[in-house]
Amino acid sequence: MPDMHGRRTRRGIALAAGLTLALAACAGQGSAQDDDGTTGDGPTELVLWHGMTGPDGPAVQQIIDDFNASQDDVVVKPNVMPWDVLYQKVLTSLSSDDGPQVVAMSASNVPQYASKGALAPVDDFYADDTWMDTSALPDAAKHAADFDGTAYGVPLNIAPMMLYWNKDMFEAAGLDPEQPPTTWDEFASMAEKLTVDENGDGKPEQYAAALADHTTVPIYQMLLWGTGGGVVADDASTATLDSPETLEALEFWVDQVREKKVSPIGLSGADADKLFQTGKAAMEIVGPWMTTGFDEAGLDYGLAAPPAGPDADVTLADVVAFTVNAKASDAQQDAAKTFFAYWNSVESQKTWADGSGFPPTRTDIPADELENPYSAVFGDPELLGSAKVYLAGVPSSGTITDSIFYPALQRVLNGDGDLTEVFTQANADVQAAIDKG
Amino acid sequence: MTTAARTPAPARVAVRRGRGARRRERTAWLFLTPSLLTIAVFMLWPMVQSAYLSFMDYNRIQPAQWVGLANYRELLTDPAVGNALRNTLVYAVVVTPVTVGLALALALLLNRAIFARGLVRTAVFLPFIVSLAIVAIAWAFLLDPNIGLLSHWLDGLGIVSTQGWLSDPQLAMPAVMVVGIWKTVGFYMVMYLAGLQSIPTELYEAASLDGAGPWTRFRNVTWPLLSNQTMLISIMAAIATLQAFDQIYVMTHGGPYFRTETLVMLVYRVGFEDLRLGYGSAISWVLLLGVFVLSMLQWGYFRKRAVTY
Repeated sequence: MPDMHGRRTRRGIALAAGLTLALAACAGQGSAQDDDGTTGDGPTELVLWHGMTGPDGPAVQQIIDDFNASQDDVVVKPNVMPWDVLYQKVLTSLSSDDGPQVVAMSASNVPQYASKGALAPVDDFYADDTWMDTSALPDAAKHAADFDGTAYGVPLNIAPMMLYWNKDMFEAAGLDPEQPPTTWDEFASMAEKLTVDENGDGKPEQYAAALADHTTVPIYQMLLWGTGGGVVADDASTATLDSPETLEALEFWVDQVREKKVSPIGLSGADADKLFQTGKAAMEIVGPWMTTGFDEAGLDYGLAAPPAGPDADVTLADVVAFTVNAKASDAQQDAAKTFFAYWNSVESQKTWADGSGFPPTRTDIPADELENPYSAVFGDPELLGSAKVYLAGVPSSGTITDSIFYPALQRVLNGDGDLTEVFTQANADVQAAIDKG
Repeated sequence: MTTAARTPAPARVAVRRGRGARRRERTAWLFLTPSLLTIAVFMLWPMVQSAYLSFMDYNRIQPAQWVGLANYRELLTDPAVGNALRNTLVYAVVVTPVTVGLALALALLLNRAIFARGLVRTAVFLPFIVSLAIVAIAWAFLLDPNIGLLSHWLDGLGIVSTQGWLSDPQLAMPAVMVVGIWKTVGFYMVMYLAGLQSIPTELYEAASLDGAGPWTRFRNVTWPLLSNQTMLISIMAAIATLQAFDQIYVMTHGGPYFRTETLVMLVYRVGFEDLRLGYGSAISWVLLLGVFVLSMLQWGYFRKRAVTY
């Protein structure tokens, strides 16, 4: 039984601390939940934050409703908000006493909070069959939210990136509409035909591709894997931005964008989606969440694995993981795991895949049992098998991505500085960020 | 006897006067209390806290650690601080005089009897009362390279931005500046208008009788008598520009590659994105000190030129 006075005092301190930070002060509201779920005879309540505000939202709600109706011990109360709002509020909420018990977040953000002790380990979820048989979960999803050898997340979804191409634009450019580029060289030669600058003002009216260079899923970072390069080595402790492989990949893509103008510079993820959606760009590499929007826009598009690099054929997997607040009580932690098992059950994952177009988080659901055709396409075992998670296990992933990698990339795309020099410096910055932890 | 009888009298008067003064004082404090409480809770206490935090290494989850002057030492050599300081100064040096000059010009224009004066005054003032975040989003749309109306018109005039105003490293800062000026100029214009209305018309009549033309009248009557307004507006505008944040946060988020990152943007990035609240506090204290010194200099300069009439 918690000491009521002690708890109230702590909340008072948390409130005072909140006031010191005007911006942070507005966080944490909406999660106000007074009982911690351990007292009384009622069911254990779990407040769950997630950012599925798009077409995938109803599918999330459906599974939560099903779960709440399926048993009497646990009630999951979802609180949905846009991802950027969620990330702004999550730190304050985890450090206060009234925070949510479960937060869904991109697996790449998990180490940042896990390294500071804000999240509870979930190793026992994978240890045996107490909660579920986790061997059905794909490895990339299972270990996406590991930090320092400990699991801190259970997959909510897994989304491999694919190449979307506009068949009408391919045909208009004299290309076979059923043949997307399968290698970087093919991409380059097709891009030449797909980039059109009608009035010769140096600003193409039609772009071959929409490649976002900030506020997006890490597409450029994924492209670096094609030559065997990358932002950090797989051991999560060595920066590799100045390796010959990384520089080779960067030179190819910077040349494509800067000199050949295959894509505009300075696109955010949302800009890139808009460009493809309005038929101003012929290709985009993005995840399954865009199928609904592109269908509604009436685009005739195809889906394929992103073009393979000269040395490796690997795609990016974006994984959203459920995490547990370190302040959650034992009963709440158990309740959370009960919910995670339900979420990843065959039944729920069919609901999820059919409702969202995402592939199921399980490898044992045959494609012909899925109603949504996109789920099967994105769930292609070969594609999922070659999928890799970006910056897994790196606590400073946010700083590395937003304050080091994208600014360096934008500098060279704008022709402001020598590529090798800029990325040698960026490499030193990334290494310093990793070492600081 | 007489002295004894006389002594209590002044004492009683003194007591009564004291009571009245004390009561008035109490009433004054009573009326001040809500403001003082608000200031104490939302300004003084956070400032004390942030001063304390600036000597700590703190990320909100783990306990804070005392690091002494390490944060201040770090910011002296941090290239990000140098870059943000440069951007802040460029922004302030351009935006402050332009805003003040434009506000004065608009006030002079709209103080005359011109067509649809009320409408124009409202139009100029309106942006000031709209939330800056909304204004910034609207401008981001106008300047969008693909769907932006303004970009479309500028393209038509031959002013082509190949990648959009807000993601072009050369154009992002001017774009942010224009929005900052457009947003605040109406407020300062209203302050100038108030100043213009308070100038006695006899002075203009006398000047005209002496044969002064419009320029001489402005030079010798209007401008000197507006110097109180000019002082207030210049100090307020300078402080506001040194704290430029909202339109930058929404329009460019400090990008492309930190080209529009001001000191307050940097404080936000370091504190709330990199979770280094101690370092962010140290930077904001340096900024506060800079603003304070500059305001004192401005005040000292204008005080000698203050007018009373």
